[in-house]
Amino acid sequence: MGVRATMSGLPHPLPSSPVKGEVPPGEPGKIVPEPAERKEHKNMAFLLRRLAFYLAAFLAAATVNFFLPRLMPGDPIQIMFASAGSELSLENLNALKLTFGFIDAPLHEQYFAYIKSVFTGDLGRSIKYFPLPVTELLGRALVWTLGLVGIATLISFAVGTILGVMAAWRRGTLFDSAVSLVAIFSSSVPAIVVSLILLFVFGYTLRWFPNGYAANPLLDPGFNWTYISSVLYHGTLPMLTLVIVLTGGFAVTMRNNMINLLGEDYIVMGRAKGLADNRVMLFYAARNALLPTVSSLAIAMGTVLGGSLIVEVVFNYPGLGNTLYQAILARDYPVIQGQLLIMTGAMLVSNFVVDLSYVLLDPRLKKA
Amino acid sequence: MTLFKQLLGNKKALVGLTILVAIILIAIFAPLLTEYSPTRRVGRPHQPPSWDHWLGTTRLGHDVFSRLVHGARVSLAVGFGAGLMITIVGTVLGIIAGYKGGVVDEVINFFTNMVLVVPNLPLLLVIAAFVGQAGPVVIALILGFTSWAWGVRVTRSETLSIRQRDYVKSAEMLGEPSWRIMALEIFPNLISIVGINFIGSVIFAVIAEATLGFLGLGDPNTVSWGIMLFNAQNASALSVGAWWDLLSPCFALALLGLGLALLNFAIDEVANPRLRTGGMLKSWSRMVLLGEGKL
Repeated sequence: MGVRATMSGLPHPLPSSPVKGEVPPGEPGKIVPEPAERKEHKNMAFLLRRLAFYLAAFLAAATVNFFLPRLMPGDPIQIMFASAGSELSLENLNALKLTFGFIDAPLHEQYFAYIKSVFTGDLGRSIKYFPLPVTELLGRALVWTLGLVGIATLISFAVGTILGVMAAWRRGTLFDSAVSLVAIFSSSVPAIVVSLILLFVFGYTLRWFPNGYAANPLLDPGFNWTYISSVLYHGTLPMLTLVIVLTGGFAVTMRNNMINLLGEDYIVMGRAKGLADNRVMLFYAARNALLPTVSSLAIAMGTVLGGSLIVEVVFNYPGLGNTLYQAILARDYPVIQGQLLIMTGAMLVSNFVVDLSYVLLDPRLKKA
Repeated sequence: MTLFKQLLGNKKALVGLTILVAIILIAIFAPLLTEYSPTRRVGRPHQPPSWDHWLGTTRLGHDVFSRLVHGARVSLAVGFGAGLMITIVGTVLGIIAGYKGGVVDEVINFFTNMVLVVPNLPLLLVIAAFVGQAGPVVIALILGFTSWAWGVRVTRSETLSIRQRDYVKSAEMLGEPSWRIMALEIFPNLISIVGINFIGSVIFAVIAEATLGFLGLGDPNTVSWGIMLFNAQNASALSVGAWWDLLSPCFALALLGLGLALLNFAIDEVANPRLRTGGMLKSWSRMVLLGEGKL
C-alpha cells in the first residue's frame, strides 16, 4: 500500500498515517476525535481540489487542440479544413473558423475564442457529415461506447476481483498459480491482437457471432426484446475482447492488495475468534483490499477507452472508435479534435466518480 | 552487473531473453532469411502459406514472411527508440522531482498527473492525424513526447524513499553537489525500476506503432507490423479468407509482447527477492493498469 499511496501522487483520501485525529500539545499520545462537521469539510475540500485539477487537465487537452494545427508547417486554416474542399460555403467556413479561434486577432485572443467555444459546448461541425455538429455526431457514438466500456469494465472488475480474492486466499496453491498465469497471458496480449483473433475464430471461421454493427440493421431500434437481444448478440465479441484484456489486471491488483493485508492483526484476530473462513476472507480482508483496487479502476479507464477505440474499429461497432476511424480516413479534423475532448471528459468524469466512491467507501471517512 | 548475472539464472528471464534475441536477430538478418523483397510483387495475390511463400502472400502479391521479418526492423526500432526516450525523460524528471522536493516537485508532479488523466491513445491519434502519414521516426518522437508520465511517477516515489537512506544523507553531509548525489547515489539504486520502465515502454511503443498504423495514421510506404495490419484490414483479408495476411503480424506482436513481459517480471523478481511471490505480478499490474503495458 505504501508504494501505491505515494505512487499515485494524488491527494489521497486514504491517509497512511492517522491524521484524522489531532494530538493537542501537552497531551502527547492522546487522540482527540475530530468533530463530524470538520470531516465533512475535509471531504468537500478534497473533492473541490480534485475538481479544480480536472478542470486544469481538460484545459490542457483543449490547449493541445488549439496549438496543434498552428504548430504544423503551413497555413493552419488550410490544414484544419483541407478536407472541406470547395464544398463549404464561405459563410459556413467562416462560422467554423470562428469556432476554432481562427479570427483576425493576436494569438491569445484566438486562444480565448477557442476555449470559449469549447466551454460553451460548441466543438464545431463535422466536415464529412456537414452540417452535423461534432457534439451530436460523437454524442450518438458515445452512447454505444459507454455501454460497451461500462458493461465490460463491470464484468471484468467483478470477475477479476473475485479471482484475485480467491487466489490470494489460496496463496501458493495450484489455483493461485493458474490464476496468475492466465492473468499474465491475458494482459500481455494487446487489444488489437485479441480482437482480431476473436473476429477470425468466432466471426469468420465458426460463424457464431456477427462480424459487425451494433444490432441487426434490418431491425427498428426500440425497447423490445428482439432489438435488445440483437444488440447483446452483436456486442458479445467486442465485450469479450475488453473483458479478456482487462480481467487479468484487476485480478492481479486485487490479489496483491489482499496478500498485503493478510498479515494484518485484525485478520489474525478474526481467525483467532473462530470466525468462519468466508467471513474473514470477504468482510475482513477483501473489503479493505477493495479500496486501492477501486482507485486503480480510475487509472484503468484510459486503457479501457483506448482499447474500445481499437475494438470498435475491428468489429465495425458504431461507437466513438469507429466514428473516429472514419474521421481519420477523411481527415475530418473537427471530429478528431472533438474526440480528444470527449474522451478526456469521459476519463475525468470516471475519475471523479471514483473520488466520490472513495469518500463513500472508506469507513474511516464515513462516520466516527 | 550482478543484476545481469542473476537474470541469467532466472527461468523467466531466459525464456523472455531468448524470444527477444531471436526477434532481434531475425530483424538484423532479415535480408538473408528471405529471397523476396518486402515491397515487390513476387507472387499471385492472397496465396495461402506454401513452400514458396511460408506465410502466404498479400493482396498485392507481396510475400508475407518477407514483410514480417523486414517489418520487425521498423517495429523494433520504433519500440526501442521511443522506449529509450520515454525512459530518459521519465527517469530524469522523476529523480529531480523526488530528490529536490518543494516547488520543483510540485510543478513536475502536477504536469505528470495531468498527462496521466488525459487518455493516451486519443491524444496520440490527434497528434498523429495532424502530422499526416507519420513515418517511424515521427511516431517514435510523438510517443516519447506523450508517454513519459508513468515513468516519472514510479521513479519519483522510489526516489522519495531512497533519499532518506543513510548513504544519501552522508553524501549530503559531505557537501556533494546535488547532481552528483542524484547521478551517483540515487540513480544506481533505481536501476531495476528504470529497467522495468524501459521494457514496459518498449512494449507500449511497439503496440502503439501497430495501433497507429492499423488506424491508417502511419506512412503506408514503410514496412512495419502496424502497416501490415493496415494493409491486411484494407484488403478485407479475413472476409476473403486470407487469415495469414492479418494473423501473422498479430502473432508477431503477441510473441514480442510476451518475451518483453517475461523479461520485465524477471527483473522485478531478481531486484526484489522478498516480493518473489507477488512482486512480478505487482509490477505487471502497475504497468497494465497505468496503461503503460498496452493500448
